[in-house]
Amino acid sequence: MATEAALSRLSTWVFSATEAHWDALYAEQLPRVYNFFRYRVGAGPVAEDLTSITFEKAWRARHRYRRDLGAFTTWLLTIARNVAADHFRRHRSHASLDEARAVAGGEDPAALAVLRSDIERLARLLERLPEREWELIALKYGADMTNRSIARLTGLSESNVGTILHRTIQVLRAEW
Amino acid sequence: MVDDRFLNELRRDPDPAFAARLRERLDRRDAAAVRQFRWRPVLAASISAAVVIALFAFPSVRASAQAVLDLFRVRNFAAVKFDPSRLEKLRAEKQDSGLLMFGKQEVLQDPGQPQQVGSPQAAGAAAGIEVRTPADVPRRMALEKVMVEGPGAGRLTADAVKLRALLDALDIHDLDVPPNIDGKSVTVRKPPIVFERFASDRHHATLIQARSPEVELPAGVDLAQLAELGMRILGVDRTQARRLAQSVDWHTTLLVPVPGNASSFRGVEVQGNPGLLITTSGDKAPGGEHNREGTVLLWSERDRVYALTSDLDGMEVLQMAESVR
Repeated sequence: MATEAALSRLSTWVFSATEAHWDALYAEQLPRVYNFFRYRVGAGPVAEDLTSITFEKAWRARHRYRRDLGAFTTWLLTIARNVAADHFRRHRSHASLDEARAVAGGEDPAALAVLRSDIERLARLLERLPEREWELIALKYGADMTNRSIARLTGLSESNVGTILHRTIQVLRAEW
Repeated sequence: MVDDRFLNELRRDPDPAFAARLRERLDRRDAAAVRQFRWRPVLAASISAAVVIALFAFPSVRASAQAVLDLFRVRNFAAVKFDPSRLEKLRAEKQDSGLLMFGKQEVLQDPGQPQQVGSPQAAGAAAGIEVRTPADVPRRMALEKVMVEGPGAGRLTADAVKLRALLDALDIHDLDVPPNIDGKSVTVRKPPIVFERFASDRHHATLIQARSPEVELPAGVDLAQLAELGMRILGVDRTQARRLAQSVDWHTTLLVPVPGNASSFRGVEVQGNPGLLITTSGDKAPGGEHNREGTVLLWSERDRVYALTSDLDGMEVLQMAESVR
């Protein structure tokens, strides 16, 4: 019905105007969430699946997003953390090295070989980290979050986040 | 060497094909949710905005809006509270197409989807009007996008039998269907509409502007009688509907239905012109989720009609409207 369609279009527009800027947020946040999962479970289909689950959950819950309570990134990564936790509960072992090896992509063959080697070594080291340290690395370097944002998300103090990350990197460097 | 740089350089963009697939899937959910939204009275704020915006659309779908559309040009606004549960009742009567008084509709010109343009000036060129913009945009909001919806036109033809059946179904027996209404047509021409959306990471506001719709009226129709019918269909009580129908100048007044359970409204002046400020109270959605409060400000100036919708409070919206130049 043309009448309904006309109203529907306007309703849609007005409705979306009251929501978060979904288009812009999607473009901005997709790489962040995707890389968070790459650092948690490795690249490939699992990271893509978990990214999809996160965005679908976020979409369904977007009416609950309160802009006065924090940044959208923090809200979205809270959902991503829960999705990751669910994933790990269902799959006792973390990401396989095969998946981790696939982290490297889109490079020229020579660079790829070096990067794969680095990724493999890093993946082995990450797997040995305690859960909290591993997640902080994923939030810091995968999701590209600031220490302050990580603190807000995890409940740790900002200085504690910085300290833990510093020590974790020292461990990784020492074992490299 | 494991350091910040090394760890940062391992990030990669997601596969574009994956990003496109996911986006498409979310869009499909979006469309489904909008269909569901259209008749959810719990979303009072959004519905209020939708109803208001619908008054700018062709053809307006609310009975009361139809009753007054044939009187424009708009100079004044009158708000009337209606019972949101009536929407459900109308839906049960399969009246959700909104053609409450009109048995036939013809689309003469489809306005199409709103199109994004690069600037207010470009919107003005596309819409054929001088687009105005607020000079005072509060809360660090900035112009985010500008959209233009094209002109539309349509013809609505009244069906007295259908209208009588609807009144009976709603237990409205004290009003007669005007005997001369059957077969009469109203032609509505909706000028282009310009949308300017302003936003920050916390707030948003949208200024909507258009020329007033043009309506070709049949001769001899009692507009007050039609307005009273429309208000009663929307659930306005008998006394108020009669009083408003008799007291309002239907040749210059746009009637705005406001959900009765979630909103307040008051007459205001914007740059010396008559306006209507509607504030939605932010009701509870299913599951106890809290809907944000919102404000809709309507005003007219000469042949233009404006609407400003925002999550800001009424005072800030009024200040923003006062700065429109």
